[in-house]
This record gives sequence, structure tokens and C-alpha cells, in this order.
Amino acid sequence: MLSADLLGQIRAFDSSADCADSIMVSASAFHADDLGSIPSRRIKNKMEQQSHHEHKPEHAKIGFYDKWYKVLLFIPITILILSLVYLFVFYNEHGDFIYKDSSLAGGTTITLSGIDTDLIELSKFLQNDFPDVSVREIKDLSSGRRLAILIDTTAEPEPLKEKVEEFLNVKLDENNSSIEFTGSSLSENFYRQLIIAIAISFVLISIVVFFLFKNVVRSVAILISVFGNIVMPLALVDFLGIRLSAAGIAAFLMLIGYSVDSDILLTTRVLKKREGTINQRIFKAFKTGIFITGTALVAILPAFLIVTGLPESFKQIFLIVGIGLVADILNTWLMNAGILKWYAERNKL
Amino acid sequence: MRITFRIWVLIIALLLALLMISPTFKSSVEIKGIDLGSESAIAGLSQGDIITEINGKEVNNLDSYNEATENLFNDGEVRLDIKTKNDEYIFLSNSLNFTVGETPRSNIKTGLDLSGGARALVKAENISLTQSQLQDLVAVTSQRLNTFGLRDIVVKSTSDLGGNSYMLIEVAGATPQNLKELIAEQGKFEAKIGNKTVFTGGDKDITHVFRNDATQSAVYPAEQMSDGSYASRFSFTISLSPEAAQRHADITKNIPLDSLSGGQYLTENLTLILDEKVVDELRISAGLKGQVASQISIQGSGVGSTPEAAVTDARASMHKLQTILITGSLPYKLEIVKIDTISPSLGKEFTRSLLILGFAVFVVVSICIFVRYRKVKLSLAVMLTMFAEAFITIGIAALINWNLDAPGIAGIIAGIGTGVGDQILLLDASAKGKENEGVRERIKMAFFIIVGSFATNVASMLPLFWTGAGMLKGFALTTIIGVSVGILITRPAFADMIKKSGED
Repeated sequence: MLSADLLGQIRAFDSSADCADSIMVSASAFHADDLGSIPSRRIKNKMEQQSHHEHKPEHAKIGFYDKWYKVLLFIPITILILSLVYLFVFYNEHGDFIYKDSSLAGGTTITLSGIDTDLIELSKFLQNDFPDVSVREIKDLSSGRRLAILIDTTAEPEPLKEKVEEFLNVKLDENNSSIEFTGSSLSENFYRQLIIAIAISFVLISIVVFFLFKNVVRSVAILISVFGNIVMPLALVDFLGIRLSAAGIAAFLMLIGYSVDSDILLTTRVLKKREGTINQRIFKAFKTGIFITGTALVAILPAFLIVTGLPESFKQIFLIVGIGLVADILNTWLMNAGILKWYAERNKL
Repeated sequence: MRITFRIWVLIIALLLALLMISPTFKSSVEIKGIDLGSESAIAGLSQGDIITEINGKEVNNLDSYNEATENLFNDGEVRLDIKTKNDEYIFLSNSLNFTVGETPRSNIKTGLDLSGGARALVKAENISLTQSQLQDLVAVTSQRLNTFGLRDIVVKSTSDLGGNSYMLIEVAGATPQNLKELIAEQGKFEAKIGNKTVFTGGDKDITHVFRNDATQSAVYPAEQMSDGSYASRFSFTISLSPEAAQRHADITKNIPLDSLSGGQYLTENLTLILDEKVVDELRISAGLKGQVASQISIQGSGVGSTPEAAVTDARASMHKLQTILITGSLPYKLEIVKIDTISPSLGKEFTRSLLILGFAVFVVVSICIFVRYRKVKLSLAVMLTMFAEAFITIGIAALINWNLDAPGIAGIIAGIGTGVGDQILLLDASAKGKENEGVRERIKMAFFIIVGSFATNVASMLPLFWTGAGMLKGFALTTIIGVSVGILITRPAFADMIKKSGED
């Protein structure tokens, strides 16, 4: 077959020309910037000469990317800019970047379990005394049961509890309810610190990325992608009107660490693989990376489609990581890959 | 498949984790707390004893315990024959004087959001406490809660990025109704006549507080008030130190008799003040005038919409006052910045859901892997690695006594997610392709990516350790343990597994 023939050619080429280079690559696995070195450029040239031997479909795809990558690059950039504009408008309107739940804004959450009542009526009744109240339910889709009702306001627990008791005509105790209260001084502190934590996290990630790749453009490309992975989900969460909890913000921290993985995969493959054109390397990395991200996304689905009776904190973490992973597909494979390709072309690597 | 050194490490880690978790399938009931000095305690029962039988009725879970103890004391004092796992106790009593709970099925401890209970975060108002002041606060509060009769509590100090110090209190299981007052009250108790203080709370002035003695401490039947509600009075005796008793004599000596009461009482009252609020005003009978009173009766009342509610309220108030009189006051005011009481029943539901979800995630990921690689052996290797990673992470959590809460479990699942990603990388790297690079080299590159992603995962979670008084530590910790187990134990073993199966 053709591929066997090709493999033979490459083997021959490898043994004749490039022993020294292969030693260099493996010895400097952790800080190789070998793309610029002459031998690997030679590999690339050789590969390009051979590229007409490639399977047709793959070749077509690569041709498409060559032609359109700059346009594709603009998709995530446009979404990123739109998200930033939206967040800016949101900030002007609400004085903050997110809607906060009681754990971040201060206030009370009462979770009723095993109590059946009309949510809309309850919400209307409570709105008289607590205008900012939000009433939601946690439903388990697999069993169809309502597990709990969540009541969230910035008020103190006692008056809220009294009103809820009045409406339900049931005394609230530890068997039928959970009551969580966070004082405003703590929540402010908490929120501020979580923002600082995100900033520190971003700085630590930057250090790790610079240490791994030792190249400003490539590292910045990764960090822009990570930045997009934070900003895009944040805008979407705001757009959907979700009140974020402390755990939700912590999920953004996780997202930073989690989503950078695919960027590391991409950059490493583009940098350190010695064969194939940039396109081929990007495409191979993409095949692996998209499957990894896809699997992670599929793993997140049951929490929203099957077993939905989960604690709020848990759901928010999953939701934000899930949205983040989708954003990550755009940011890694259109934005980061685009920047890498553009950089490689400009520098004739 | 040859079992390499790395695979042995994985097997040993799995066995150790099993040992750490040590699950059991038999349920049992154990004593969680016992009143010191009660008949049960004197008979020799103690905390942690596993009860197997009460008066001939078998006990193996909470339901059977409730069944065995139901109507036990209808006729007052009875002969109790309690069998525990290791011993048998026979004694007479009119109550059990201990609280029980189901023995945990394993060493896995779940957080408050899954097991139920209460948590409070407290800080001093307007001042920032030094480390030693914080330790004093923790000591006084522990003593208060213990005196109050709470068991299974954790009181500790904690601080955050902003340099704020807090006291964290966690109560497992049932939540006492007046937890809030117990921990937030400064507990500054004063007994005054006019503007002169006779005695204050704490062991300097009060040498003994009578508590479990029916003749010296009592709650009286409720009476209906004019507004239709009920009120119930309580009274208990305290012993004063000689100095405080003398002070009482000196102050009352010069107070005239009250002619309106026919000379039965003095014109001034003994006012009991707790945290600047008057608890009660007691009349001082003429006989006490100028006397060195070594014992004094403290009184107060409780109210409620029904007689039972009034008595319950009175009992709770008495209990709280007794606790505060024994433990004395704190030198500053406290502010509760967070208080959560979580229903154990809801936690149970959540735990169940999380278990099912964990299983669902496991299944869908396995399907994804199988659909892509179409090899049973590889898919099994991925599944085994996934399971091992979660199991070892939970084992480590059990080892360090870490409470797994919902965010913590999210962390474990995310850790496994990273793990699966890394395994896919290794699989793709080892798959036979047309590249000229050897498998070894490609796996090396995969490990570079794996190490890189490990470093970024740890770096991103690290700041959470110092954020928000440690509330999200669990999330960070399990994620970091998860990815560390992955990189140190399961990933190398997995690489060997697929290498071997690839050579088959």
C-alpha cells in the first residue's frame, strides 16, 4: 500500500540524515525550540515534497485550513470581544461582573426537602417582604422527583424562615430543611479573595506555560486562549442569569487549569513533532485533543440529563467546566492554532 | 500481560486504599455521646460502644434501636440490659442518657453538605484576635459546647488570604436549636443589686452549678398568660465562692425592707444580666438581708404558644444559662459571619445522587473509549485506571481524615477527567502510525504534555487553599490529590499496560 511505501521512505530518510537531530530532540525534551533549527526545517521540506502522496481527503482538509485559518481565527476573537463588551455593559449596569448568590453577596439560602408546594405562589408570597428572593427547585430527571426547593435572598435567616413557615404552615427543622446564612462582611471578603485567587492562578499558569515553552508568542497564544476560556463562560453565565456561588467561582479556577491542557497538547505537538507540516501536526493534535475534550463533555452530560438531583455547588462546578470546555474548543483549535500557524508562517518555520 | 514494577505499585496502592477505606457491609448503632455521671456512664457504657441488644431486642440500625427503646420508660425506672459488641451492662435507670448514631460503614467521611449538621464561622467584633486569643476562644467554646452536652463537634481556628482569623465550629448530625446563642454570646453574666455587682459568671465567683439534680434544678409546668400564650419558670441553685457570698452580705446589709410587701422582701431586687440584657429580676427575701449567702437560686422563664413549647423553651434557656455560668465570659463580642444548618435527610439524597452520577460518568466515558478504540483490552485498561484513580484518591482522603463534600467529589471526578485525557494521549501516542518516531519517543512527548498539564492543574487550584477561611479547600485538595495519584501511580502503570498489550 501507499502508506507502507511512504513509511519506508521516511525511515530511510531518518536514518541517513538525522541521527544527531533526533538525539537533540530527545535530550532537550523539556525546552526544545527545535522548529527553527535547520534539520527540522529540512524534514518539513521533505515532508511537503511528499505531501502529494497523501490521502486525498486529509489533503483537502489541510488545504481548507491553509486558506481559511485567518478567517477561522476571527471567530473566537470576535466572540471574545463580544463577551468582553457584554461583561463591560453588565458591569456598568450591575456594578459587578456576576450575579452573586447568598454565599457571595451575603444572605440566606433555605433548602426545603420533602415539602411540596406551588413554587410560583411561594415566590409571590415571599416577594412582598423580600423583593430580591429567588425560588428554584432541584429535580431529579431520572426519577422525576422534586428533591428540594431553594429559596435565596440577601435577608437574614430568621425573618425569612418565619415567612416560609407562615406560607407552608409547617415548622422548619433539620428534618425538612437546611438553612445557610453568610454575613455580608464574610461574603465580601470571600468574593474579593476568590477574584485574587483567580488572578494568582492565572499568574501561576503563565509561569508554568513560559517555563514549558520558553517562547513569548507561543506562551501568550496559550494565555489568550485561557483568558477566553474564562471570559466566554463568564459572559454566558451572566447572560443566562445564573447566580454564582463560591463553588462556582472556584470552578473557574479549575477551568483555568483544565482547559490549558489542550493548548499544551497543541503547542507541544506542533513544536516537538519532527514530521509533518504545521497543518498536519495541528490536525493530528486536534484529533486527539477534540476526543479528550469531547469525552470530558460527554462525562459532564449525565449531571444535566440523567442524575440531576445534585447539590447546587456540584452542579455549578460542572456547568462552568462544561461551558468552559466548549469555549476551549474554539479557543484552542481556532485561536491558539491559528496564532501558532500564523507565527510559523511569518517566521518561515 | 507481564506485571511490571509500575503495575505492582498500582496494585499495592489499590490494596492500601482499600485498607484505608475499610468498608463494611454490616450496619450497627454506636454511642455518640453520653452524659457524664449518668447511670449509663456509671454502669460502664462509653462513647463508641456498639450496641447490639437492649432488653432482649436486637439492635442493628437506627430503626431497630428506636423500636427497642420506644416506650421503654413508660413506667419510670426500669431494669436495663444492654448488650454491646464486647460486653453486657445491667442497671436501673429512668432514661438512657446517651445519644446514638449509625456506625459509619467505612472510614470515608463526608462533608457537612452530605452528612448533615451545622457549621458556624465566628469572628471577634471590631478587633482582630491574636493567635493566642484565638486559641483561648476555641478552648472556651469547646468547653461550652461540651458542657452543653454536644458531642461530635469540631472547633478550630482558621484564617484566610486577607489575614482574617475565624473560629470554625462544626457539629455533625443533629443541630441544637440554640447553637447560635451558644457560640455567639459573649456570655457576660452579672448579678447586680442596684448598681453593685454581687457575682459574675465563671468559676471565680461560682463554685458549682446544680444541673442534673431534680431537687436543685427544675422547670415548672407552664401557665397561661393574659395574651393566651404560655410561660414556664425554671430555677436552679448555684454555689457562690466565699468572696462572692460576702459581697452579697455587704450589699444587702444596708437595703431597707419593702413595706409594700409587708416587709417580706427588700426594696431592691437581684437583677440577672446576660450580655447587657436583663434575664430576670428576683426579689430578695427579708431573711437574706446581710447574710453570707453561699447558695443562691437563679430563676428565669420560657415562653411558647403551647404549654409544651413553653416548657421546652424554659428548659433550653436554663440549660444555656447554666452552661454560661459554668464557662464564664469571653473578653470580647463575637459576630457570626456564617451559620449553616444542613438537613441530614437531604444530604442522604445528594449522596445517593452523587454515587449514581459517578457510576454514570464511568459508563459513558467507557463507552466513548470503546467506540473510538474498538479494543476490549484497551477499554478495560482505561476503565481500570479510572477506577483506580478515584479509589486511591478516596483512600488518601480517608487516610488524612478528610471530609469529602460535594465540591470535593466534583474535584475527584474532574481529576479522573484529566486522567482519562492523559490516557487518551498515551493511547494515541502508542497507536501504530505511519510516523517515523518510535513509540518510546512519542510516549515521552505524551508524558511531557501530561507533566505540563499536571503542573497547570496544581497551579490553578493552589490559591484556593488560602481563600475564604478554607471553605473550598476540599475542592482544591481532592483535585490535587487526584491529579497527583494520576501522574505518580496510575499513569505510569497505564503506560506499561498498553505497552504490554500492544506487544501482545
